[in-house]
Amino acid sequence: MVNMKEIAENLVQGEVSKVKELTQAALSEGTSAQQVLNQGLMAGMDVVGERFKADEMFLPEVLLSAQVMLAAMEVLEPELAKAGAKPFAKIALGTVQGDIHSIGKNLVGIMFQGIGFKVIDLGVDVSPERFVDAVRQEQAQMVCMSALLTTTMPFMKTTIEALQAAGLKGQVKTMVGGAVVSQRYADEIGADGYAPDAAAAIDKAKELLSIG
Amino acid sequence: MEITKSNFKAYATPQFKMLSDEQIYEIHLATLEVLERTGVEVFDEEGVDLLASAGSHVEGKARVRIPSYLVEDALKSAPKRVTLASRDGRRKVLLEGTKVYFGTGSDCPHILDSFTGERRLSTKEDVEKAALICDSLPNIDFFMSLGLVSDVPGAVSDRHQFQAMLLNTTKPIIFTAHDETGMADIIEMAAVAVGGREQLRGNPCIGLYAEPSTPLQHSKAAVRKLLLAAQEGIPVVYTPCPLAGGTAPATLAGTLVMDNAEVLSGLVMSQLRQKGAPFILGGVVTVMDMKTAIIAYGAPELHMLSAALAEIAHYYRLPMFSTAGCSDAKVMDQQAAIESAFSCLMAALSGANLVHDVGYLESALTGSYEMLVMTNEVIAMVKRIMRGIEVNEESLALDVIDKVGPGGNFLLEEHTLHHFRKEQWHPELMDRNNYEKWRQAGGKTLGQRTTEKVKRILAEYHPEPLSPEKLKQIDAIIARAGARKE
Repeated sequence: MVNMKEIAENLVQGEVSKVKELTQAALSEGTSAQQVLNQGLMAGMDVVGERFKADEMFLPEVLLSAQVMLAAMEVLEPELAKAGAKPFAKIALGTVQGDIHSIGKNLVGIMFQGIGFKVIDLGVDVSPERFVDAVRQEQAQMVCMSALLTTTMPFMKTTIEALQAAGLKGQVKTMVGGAVVSQRYADEIGADGYAPDAAAAIDKAKELLSIG
Repeated sequence: MEITKSNFKAYATPQFKMLSDEQIYEIHLATLEVLERTGVEVFDEEGVDLLASAGSHVEGKARVRIPSYLVEDALKSAPKRVTLASRDGRRKVLLEGTKVYFGTGSDCPHILDSFTGERRLSTKEDVEKAALICDSLPNIDFFMSLGLVSDVPGAVSDRHQFQAMLLNTTKPIIFTAHDETGMADIIEMAAVAVGGREQLRGNPCIGLYAEPSTPLQHSKAAVRKLLLAAQEGIPVVYTPCPLAGGTAPATLAGTLVMDNAEVLSGLVMSQLRQKGAPFILGGVVTVMDMKTAIIAYGAPELHMLSAALAEIAHYYRLPMFSTAGCSDAKVMDQQAAIESAFSCLMAALSGANLVHDVGYLESALTGSYEMLVMTNEVIAMVKRIMRGIEVNEESLALDVIDKVGPGGNFLLEEHTLHHFRKEQWHPELMDRNNYEKWRQAGGKTLGQRTTEKVKRILAEYHPEPLSPEKLKQIDAIIARAGARKE
């Protein structure tokens, strides 16, 4: 019998192949996908989170574990869907129009994948229209925008207005971030949330989407 | 007795080396390889055309691979010295060799208010005050805005910011601009101040600050400004900000290669646009903190990498833009002091030419007058260290040693009276009193004494004003820009 603890431990160690293998094996043995997810993968990510807080693991290692999570999720998803589990939140993520800085956004994207969100990464220099399209076409439940420059920050406001104009503001949450962004700015432009860094973004996203 | 010696004064100042000559050459070669193998993305048509016509290989619309000979050509044609003048035309800042000049950094969204202690958004008035303070400080040689003007219409904030600088200091200004049109207005404003375009070209009191986007991307805005600077003969500081482990390799040498590849591809475009265009190699090079993901301005790696870049620039015999006097601290505390001191000393030892970011706190997000004024004193100490120890017949002092003899003292000796002022640096902010005296004077910390000095400067110092004529013309340029934007 595949031990859930073994899956968790290997996830913490960043062992992609091992975790995929164990996940597949667990499913073949009859373990429910939900159990593998909760007691294997999420449990592992919890340990990662604790070690990160304690300065024992750092970002590259955390991101590696998140990637392992993503790979294992691909194996689990069909089973989860079959069992009627609620699909994971879809997040449209991008750096706003006129801005090509991407590292912060990429960090957040990988971290989000690490907790099971489906991330639609729109890339950089993303126009308000493309954010709107992502919500419409992919049914994204949250739009997350990044900007590094004070000159491109205003496009966060433009995007929120575009969502409003498209009648989508009610059904989608908006979150903003970036070195020059602040809670105050987020409030000013009517964004639903702001987070100062990727780790805080996870907590905020869960809160906004009412996920435990 | 006259002593004849050759080469005796060769090492009168401290010597410092971060990289060996061979290491520098390896980094140079690796840079050439990156430009040929990986190339860069240039998001501007004119930039791509210039590179393509000169022989670069273009893939798609923006991916350009630059052959080594183009880089060598650019290194040869770029001027080995760039001189910045004060607003009244005096050629004060000679960016050449290992001459070192210090100045502030640009565009901090917040300022630490010296009167309320509040961290708040920067205003135009904050930039005016920063300019005034820098104008008064003897160890600050050039000025960058420190604050980012937030209380004016966004589209023309760069013109307002420049006006705030231009009117409150005569020291050379390194400016930022939103885009080409902002830059054109700023050049015009500077020309008004100095008495015409030709005056400005001959004795530039301004330099443009522009940045590629690491890794290996040149945004449209950056290239437009770079090329305009080349055309107008405005010195440009082209500064990548690679973060080791984030936007650049985790290994420091790899980060140097990344920075160098971006800078040199910028240099090639600049020289292709205009041979001999004044160009200053730069870099704000450091690590991405692997806990908090910030750009670590106080990291020891920043000082090391900056020093290495200076040495690479010396190898090219081109002027160099470095980083010091900055910190990740949120307030002007002990961390700020440590990080400021380390960085300033390393920058001076490395012989970097234009050393910026004095006054930066919170990893470039908050400007602080206290940090600026404290660092002015740090620089004074650094300058003393850099003057070195003179060893000659007079300084070896054999005659006075013999005269005073065992058990005497030197206080009233003519030799002491003659030399002590020059040999010994006297502090202004650093406290050397004994405990009782310090207590009687209020028992103040460095931070408190620095705040007092900031307030004193703001109350008592007056920069040289421009004529009402010129002030009106400058106002008109901004008004015109505002009208255009509507």
